[in-house]
Amino acid sequence: MWVRFCERWFGLLLILGLACLPFFLDKYTQFVVNLILVYVTVGIGLNFLLGYTGQFAFAHAALMGIGAYTVGLLTTRLGISFWIALPLAGVAAAAIGGIGALPALRMKRAYLALVTLAFAELIQWVLIRWKDVTLGTDGVSIRPPRFFDYALKGDYKIFWLILVVTVIMYVIARRLTESRIGRSWVAVRENEIVAQCNGINVTATKLVVFMVSAFYAGIGGGLFAATLGYIVPDGFGLLQLVLHFSIVVIGGMGSVFGGVIGSLLLTTLPELLREYPQALELIYGILLCIFIIFMPTGIAGFLKQWRVLPPEVMSRNWQALRDRPRPEKRS
Amino acid sequence: MSDILAVDGLTVRFGGLTAVDSVSLKVPEREIHGLIGPNGAGKTTFFNAVSGLVTPSGGSIGFLGRTITTMPPYARAALGIRRTFQSLQLIPRLTVLENVLMGLHTEIRTNPWASLFTLRGRDKGEKEAQARVLATLDYLGIGATILSQTGTLTFAQQRYVEIARAIVSSPPFLMLDEPAAGLSPNEVRDLDRLLRRLRDERGITILLVEHVISLVLGVCEQVSVLDNGRLIAEGTPEQVANDPKVKAAYLGEDSGADGH
Repeated sequence: MWVRFCERWFGLLLILGLACLPFFLDKYTQFVVNLILVYVTVGIGLNFLLGYTGQFAFAHAALMGIGAYTVGLLTTRLGISFWIALPLAGVAAAAIGGIGALPALRMKRAYLALVTLAFAELIQWVLIRWKDVTLGTDGVSIRPPRFFDYALKGDYKIFWLILVVTVIMYVIARRLTESRIGRSWVAVRENEIVAQCNGINVTATKLVVFMVSAFYAGIGGGLFAATLGYIVPDGFGLLQLVLHFSIVVIGGMGSVFGGVIGSLLLTTLPELLREYPQALELIYGILLCIFIIFMPTGIAGFLKQWRVLPPEVMSRNWQALRDRPRPEKRS
Repeated sequence: MSDILAVDGLTVRFGGLTAVDSVSLKVPEREIHGLIGPNGAGKTTFFNAVSGLVTPSGGSIGFLGRTITTMPPYARAALGIRRTFQSLQLIPRLTVLENVLMGLHTEIRTNPWASLFTLRGRDKGEKEAQARVLATLDYLGIGATILSQTGTLTFAQQRYVEIARAIVSSPPFLMLDEPAAGLSPNEVRDLDRLLRRLRDERGITILLVEHVISLVLGVCEQVSVLDNGRLIAEGTPEQVANDPKVKAAYLGEDSGADGH
């Protein structure tokens, strides 16, 4: 009961604390905090696919681009409200991700990686070449979203919006991973044959996870566009993808906390290394190797082992089982 | 009594190799049916064909009066064909609860939107599922392990967790692939008792592949013997044990050995 109580109110206090941040931060730090929150959504989405379901897919950055461009083009060129454009960004990414997943559903490991990488390149190629719509390499400027008559302009004001969306995406992620859907992802990761024999339709499960993951990438991309205010196709290339992978692997595969921890660390890191951009890729590479070899469950796994973080049991309200009376022994 | 499983002329070929050669087998409801044979006789392939993991080259499989020969494995599981595997197939890092809940995948019928937007503890489908897991584990005598990490349990307990996952959805039909492998004689005796209880108290029909011959002869009503993919004998344990063809098939093999 006690742990449950703490966990619940800790979350609320954390959100309230975060909501007060704009009163204390300078403009630049606020921008970094906004980026961290954006990458929480993106990281959680890739974690569904990579950590929970064990699918090595490389289209996440491109799908984030789809989300960013959906928001950018709908709001700027068609004058559609940001509040409609943002969910549509998720839906567009999920739809395109789902279509891209169709040929990939029967593939595994390296083949899946290659196909999804090619798919990602194709999306980027379209973003660059389809100039009439995407404005090509000139990029798209995004108008600040409006809350009724109030323009959410600047890093401080946009923060509230990002915080609300991030909290919603986080809660949905926790709910999903505590349901039969999340468990079916893990079952597919561990052994597809065993999953099938337990009544899990492996193909449908993969399609669902590809689409949910893409939805998260799309929403993250939409928030990314609103944060930066200006997007170009190059922003959704290989470096972006490496960042996503680092967030998931270093934060913790198969853990929702992992997405939060990973984005916190890996969004801050490039800002700390502003002076040495060349070192960045090297550091990503080294960190990825170290974590994959020595800490495959990432920082979240480490913290859970040392009970700094609570366990993430994949069943809703499992804590109630802890409080039940001990069963009498069978004769 | 009607037959729950009716296999007719089942043939499975892998390239030039015929692993199962026109085998016909009927399992009546509420029977514990043994399937034995020397290594490589085709027992596991037969299991895989019934659970849908391999596609038969010929013959048909009927379950509860329906033809399921081409049905995918997950749909057969939903119909109530559940199985365990020769080697433990659990997720050691997860809790017993999570492992067994996977067996309820087709049973939990919550509205996904409702489960997203309801408050903690109000998720009825999940709550019911947890109660079913707990009841099943208690039935198997391992209820206290529900929140333990599966990998930390003893081998015998993990076997029971796998059986729990297979029966938590209350299936009419259960296939066990060498459940006694690696168990001590005492644990085998417990397993013997458990199989009878599953049949008598829960009405589950069991198809049992086993190398521990004493368990098969003790608990099964009917035994079928496979050799080189063919069905060479069928009958009560006594009939099969005294069948000269069966003795010949096992000749040179230690028929009383505990498998591996």
